[in-house]
Amino acid sequence: MHIMEGFLPVSHAVGWFVASAPFVVAGGLSLRKIIRERPEARLNLAACGAFAFVLSALKMPSVTGSCSHPTGVGLGAVIFGPAVMAVLGTIVLLFQALLLAHGGLTTLGANVFSMAVVGPWVSYGIWKGLRSSGASIAVAVFAAAAVGDLATYVTTAVQLSLAYPDAESGIVGSFIKFAGIYAVTQVPLAIAEGLLTVVVMNALSGRAGQPDEIAVLAGEAR
Amino acid sequence: MSPIDREAHLNRWRSKPLAEKALLALGMLVIALALKPAVAVLVASAMTAVTLVGARVSPRLWLGCMTAPLGFLAVGVVTLALRIDAQGIGLAPGGFVEAGALVARSIAGLTCMLFLALTTPASDLVGGLGRLGLPSEIVDLALLMYRFLFILGDSAAAMNAAQAARLGHATARQRVTSAGLIAANLLPRAIDRARRMEIALASRGWRGEMRVLADRSAATASGLAVISAAIASIALTGFFV
Repeated sequence: MHIMEGFLPVSHAVGWFVASAPFVVAGGLSLRKIIRERPEARLNLAACGAFAFVLSALKMPSVTGSCSHPTGVGLGAVIFGPAVMAVLGTIVLLFQALLLAHGGLTTLGANVFSMAVVGPWVSYGIWKGLRSSGASIAVAVFAAAAVGDLATYVTTAVQLSLAYPDAESGIVGSFIKFAGIYAVTQVPLAIAEGLLTVVVMNALSGRAGQPDEIAVLAGEAR
Repeated sequence: MSPIDREAHLNRWRSKPLAEKALLALGMLVIALALKPAVAVLVASAMTAVTLVGARVSPRLWLGCMTAPLGFLAVGVVTLALRIDAQGIGLAPGGFVEAGALVARSIAGLTCMLFLALTTPASDLVGGLGRLGLPSEIVDLALLMYRFLFILGDSAAAMNAAQAARLGHATARQRVTSAGLIAANLLPRAIDRARRMEIALASRGWRGEMRVLADRSAATASGLAVISAAIASIALTGFFV
């Protein structure tokens, strides 16, 4: 869920830039290392980032009637690991603001934090945790994508309630309001994205295009 | 795939210096967010005029870009104006004032961002970030991604049309399956495409660096001064209104 341009006060916008900077810089350093060692990985990474962007432009029905779009956060985190996703996600979010007028420039820091940092790390943690505890791939993929989506949405609600605390009940009351209103669209969307990601993973493993290239990227990225 | 990108390449201010457009958009954005709501109202009207009259951006496209984020804004405003307590749902004290300031700021911010997005191609902006010191690896990655966006976007649109023609969007269940099939077919294609491009570039001696001739005009001191003066005068006017 993208926070629109101008929605956050200056201090909050700056604060979220500062909060997400270390993750993006760390991801940038590991990306740089990958690219130095294997220049050809650059094209793969660019193709995968573009894939995430196109996926987000895809219309998907959600239960509340409105068409929504998948974020691809869970899929990317499972395939590439969360460090690289921070950088790819930041570039994708910048292009979404500039090419789709979706999100914003001053709110980029906050959006990066919720969608390119928290979402991927939660997805990745769930995926690793469930796989090591013996869950099937389908269950682990579904949970990683759906919970990653929910984590992103809860983070956004926290960001909004920190910026606009309720006059009486404070940040907690404001969080309940924002989270409650957005739950109407976000909870069905998270479930839909979980199902979608399972379909994608099934189809991918069925045809296994160039498994070694994804594995190399993922292996080196982690 | 992106009408915003087409407009960014075709508008009347396409060849204006990047630094001047960026200063105008970002300077206005900062004063709209940092100062009083009155400043935001002035910024919104100034940036709308500059975008539609100065750069001659299509008003229909501009309006279309404005409406989508307004849904998000509407939800935010409702949340600020209402309160939930033991008696149920009511109007929050002072909520309307706060919500009005939020609307002014968000719309002003949106007009600034749309000005930049609709007058300047994203590739120019990324190139500008590179000259400001963003590592070249990241800049090249972003530029390659920009190129891939359109290749993959065309593929996805073709797949989508093919599915729609075969009743692939008939039911909600079918739509999720269709969307999943697009995603699953697109990723191997994207990677395959990347590999073919890599082979083509490697056979031409590519070392991971794109050198292209850009016909950009340098920013002039007078242009930057005029823009700074405009920003300062709007900030001052808003201060006394």
